Amino acid sequence: MRGYALADVPLESFDRQYRARCRVQRPDRYRLLDALPADAPSIARGGGVSYVGASFGNGAISQDLGAFDRLLAFDPQRGTLTVEAGARIGDVQRFLLARGWYLPVAPGHPRASIGGCIAADVHGKNPARDGTFRAWVEAFELHRAGEGFVQVDRARDAGLFDASFAGFGLTGSITRATLRLARPPSALVLRRVPVADLAEAARILREAANAPVLYGWHDARAAHFGRGVVRIGLASDPVASLPAGGDAGSDLPASIRALPFALWNRLGIGAANTWLATRWCRAGQAPLPLSDALFPLNRARLYFAGYGQAGMVEAQWLVPHPRFEAFAHALSECVARMRPRIALLASKLFAGTPDGFSFDGKGIALALQLPHPASTAQRAFLEALAEIAIAHDGRPNLIKESTLDPHAVRRALGGFEAARMRLAHHNPAGRRTSELARRLAL
Amino acid sequence: MTSLIVGASSGLGRALAQELAGRGHELLLVSSDARDLDAIAADLRLRHDVTVHVLALDLAHEADPGARLAGALDTMPALDALLLPVGLSRSDDDFGLDAARIGQLLAINLHAPLAIVQALLPRLLASRGVIVLFGSIAAVRGRGRNVVYAAAKRALESLHESLRQRYPPQQLRVQLYRLGFLATNLTHGVALPAPATEPALVARIVAARLTRESARWYLPRRFGLIALLVRWMPWPLYRRMRG
Repeated sequence: MRGYALADVPLESFDRQYRARCRVQRPDRYRLLDALPADAPSIARGGGVSYVGASFGNGAISQDLGAFDRLLAFDPQRGTLTVEAGARIGDVQRFLLARGWYLPVAPGHPRASIGGCIAADVHGKNPARDGTFRAWVEAFELHRAGEGFVQVDRARDAGLFDASFAGFGLTGSITRATLRLARPPSALVLRRVPVADLAEAARILREAANAPVLYGWHDARAAHFGRGVVRIGLASDPVASLPAGGDAGSDLPASIRALPFALWNRLGIGAANTWLATRWCRAGQAPLPLSDALFPLNRARLYFAGYGQAGMVEAQWLVPHPRFEAFAHALSECVARMRPRIALLASKLFAGTPDGFSFDGKGIALALQLPHPASTAQRAFLEALAEIAIAHDGRPNLIKESTLDPHAVRRALGGFEAARMRLAHHNPAGRRTSELARRLAL
Repeated sequence: MTSLIVGASSGLGRALAQELAGRGHELLLVSSDARDLDAIAADLRLRHDVTVHVLALDLAHEADPGARLAGALDTMPALDALLLPVGLSRSDDDFGLDAARIGQLLAINLHAPLAIVQALLPRLLASRGVIVLFGSIAAVRGRGRNVVYAAAKRALESLHESLRQRYPPQQLRVQLYRLGFLATNLTHGVALPAPATEPALVARIVAARLTRESARWYLPRRFGLIALLVRWMPWPLYRRMRG
């Protein structure tokens, strides 16, 4: 019967570390959301671009909400937009920017869905200024098999509202949401501040906390560890700016064909770092198109393809300010000792309050992307990184790192059991499940 | 231009709604579920700044769908195009259906298009409008699967001929598309012998041809060749293709 049709599809996490043949339902009408048996294990799937297997898993039916991508109501006076949860963040931003609004918090991949942004509680270009996605959601609607649709906001069901952010889709399938909007900067100029190490970067990041765009890029090779640049996007005179530009056709694809060889070996990493150091690590400033600021990954197709068939892994740890300098020093020593291959090292400033499994807090986050995560040496470094981060009160980003050990996660997140119980309260029979939920026993 | 799309909430119907809204058409969208229709209409209004009307209608149980549509059109500008991408198929349509399910398939695939065309003919004749019917590659030659569906789609070809025989091109234009496999929920999870085409691509072609004269086309075009092969295949060989 229509809507109940399931396709047997090979699915892969964005980092290529988890693959599974899964049954996928693709409802295109509201009533078909109820077509699956209520007791069938399932999980909602939006853009399918999460680094880990959050929208699929062995034995679970992935309910692809791509057809639910419609804009439902736009209030240009109040600055709110109600949208179906399958809408892509890139499409939403283009619609809003053309009307003088935008969502300040957007993940790097433009094909991430609004539902995915809620389920992962993503952060944007400066979480210290804008918070995470939850700060911009007024209300949403959940669908649960056998129960129908549930309207959720802070007043109506604060527990369910909070649990659904970084709830990884386990509280139900998010079907629509009402978002708060902000006025975009009329223009952006990107200021580059070279830094000698991570400690200096942290100081610059704290000083520029109110910039619309704020992050650091760093060389992660042992000889130059931490050297890099803090990039500060500032609102500027419109004349200095470039148009927002871009359309759906220029968005990074959800799935990127890997190069037949790995570009990010020591030679490739060295060449890229040298080139970026020459190009970026000079003080100065230049106009920055808003589309480039919002979706930097659109220019990173070759970068991701360059990880080859073996894929990559991203580790993100948020370390409190008082411990960051010591953490950076310990990490630098670890890199000098173990000499891992790190293709990217980036830093961001956070200033929020962690809740449940969300990636938030007051401190500096480091994101590291590594090729060949399955190799013994790389895996050993990732484990060492986790130990150093935990020793410095670091908090991991569960939606990013697919090789995180569940025991390490429990040690890193003091409130792990409470957060898990909160999710279980809204998923009592465990019918909503995914590879991420299985691996971390959520 | 004012267009009416029956079966507008999914697949080709939804793609046509998006395409025609992008071309500035005022639309009346008809489908069975008000919530789907409201979502599509809201989206089209916001993205394209066009006027969109909706009518929720259960074609499987509506005795006189033409009258309901005629009533809805009373408050709208003259109708220029009637598009009928409405359809329902079942995986168990292989001589295993009871009378009620046969009736449901016929109601949606045949009775509704017939009744709607007849009810709206006076309006379309007045505007020298266009009727767009959607047949199927499944109707080229009867098989042991899609039995009722294919019979209904073949009847639509008869309707296309009847309309063209009765009304000269100066009064009414009638277009029929024999559709191959489209990447919709109808084909999701089905092992197809040929690649499925995106509905948006088909919708773009259909919209561009709305101003053309009466005709019959295969979409995608390669299905014309496939239909030829199927039609002229020797019976003993065709009979063995039961998979």
